[in-house]
Amino acid sequence: MPSHEIFVLAIDTERCIGGGQCELMEPEMFEVDADTGIATVIGDGKMAQLRAEGLMDRCPGQAIIRVDADDGADD
Amino acid sequence: MSPSPAVADAATSVTDAQLYLDGIPHERFAAMRATDGLTWHPYGDNGFWAVTRHADVRTVSRAPEVFSSAIGHTNLWDLEADALEARRSLIDTDAPDHTRLRRIVAAAFSPKSIRAWEHTVRAVAAELLDEFIARGGGDWVELVAAPLPIRVILDMLGVPLADADYLVELSNYLVEGTGDTQSIPPDAFGNTTDLRLLPFNSPASHAIFEYGERLRAERRAEPREDLVTHLVKAELEGERMTEAEYRQLFHILVFAGNETTRTALSHGALALADNRNVWAGAIADQSRIEPLTEEVLRWSTPVLHMRRTAATDTELAGTPIAAGDKVVMWYASANRDEAVFADPQRFDPDRADNAQFAFGGGGPHFCLGAFLARLEISVLLEEMAVRNLTLEQTTDVVRAPSNFVHGILSVGLQPGGGH
Repeated sequence: MPSHEIFVLAIDTERCIGGGQCELMEPEMFEVDADTGIATVIGDGKMAQLRAEGLMDRCPGQAIIRVDADDGADD
Repeated sequence: MSPSPAVADAATSVTDAQLYLDGIPHERFAAMRATDGLTWHPYGDNGFWAVTRHADVRTVSRAPEVFSSAIGHTNLWDLEADALEARRSLIDTDAPDHTRLRRIVAAAFSPKSIRAWEHTVRAVAAELLDEFIARGGGDWVELVAAPLPIRVILDMLGVPLADADYLVELSNYLVEGTGDTQSIPPDAFGNTTDLRLLPFNSPASHAIFEYGERLRAERRAEPREDLVTHLVKAELEGERMTEAEYRQLFHILVFAGNETTRTALSHGALALADNRNVWAGAIADQSRIEPLTEEVLRWSTPVLHMRRTAATDTELAGTPIAAGDKVVMWYASANRDEAVFADPQRFDPDRADNAQFAFGGGGPHFCLGAFLARLEISVLLEEMAVRNLTLEQTTDVVRAPSNFVHGILSVGLQPGGGH
């Protein structure tokens, strides 16, 4: 069964270095804040699993985290 | 040390700067990649673990808690404690210092911010190419590859264009500092600082610091909309950056902002001269400029290596590593790893997934200027394509004698030669 799980993503503000990879890959959802240099989520942070995992892997600060409840695997 | 690790000797060493006058010693790296585990590479009084495979470079890059940038130094040689502190920059820090410093400049180099510089990059590229064509060619480094990135980074910083040549000259001396010989005396530029306390042991670093100090004073008195003003504000907020951190950051922006992309643009141009069909294809279909840019990055690998120091006992590729051991990631090797890149010694922009490590192997030290470098390369290629500019090599390549940067000091190119 194909997985179309939806992840809800957020930024770990301790780890984020403002590397901008998320802004490059998902400009509609992420932006490096001009004042803090920390990436922020624009909107609801929802993203399909495969895409989200690729994004999380590419984050240089390993700062993109999943914040939906861990029972989110039930669909 | 591991149970009998492979050990490099004179015939397989990759650190002699003179070797690089003939280019990267690819066959030596290939032999190390093919050897099980990591190779112990003697260097100075001790040595380092040579990390040469793409997968292993990735592992080291992404585990800063284990492979520290702050404990030792990120170059091959060791520094005394006072020198390490005096020279500490964004590159030689771990979290939380690294995170704090990186965030100060992060937004200025984000993809969206960098896109705003496209017009500037295009105008500079157009001017330099038109001049190159009008002259019928010449030294590509001097005419195109060096001035493009330095003019852009100086514009970002707020440095007057009139000083571009001076800062390029200083950068060239810094590159010398990574090799065996320096052509300027220790007291050049009025330097009185002990050279071992200066980045690249170079009096040119003193000159860049002085330049940065002057600019800082000017922007304090009269703020503008530029990066130095932004840095001054961060410094004034006290907790975000010290004066010494400002100095080092300015130094990095000047050096890395021009030396590295210059190298990519030089190797890239040579690759186009040597692979006419590839370039003809990109001229005919500009959607191929993006993958071509990634291949130029892989091919050029402007920074050949970075070093880490093991913070704890650990293990990599089956080789035990002791706390305090030096671990050196050879991007020059990872970018030619046959396990990742089919036919790696071929310049081929049609690679399906070009996982090049020209900006490092991921992790928090991922190149700050990555998006700017990509923009500069791709815009230059686009402007060459619209001019239907093909290149022909007219003089031998003169390479930098350095095991750290893959520099080209000069190479004669001329327009033409057809496709």
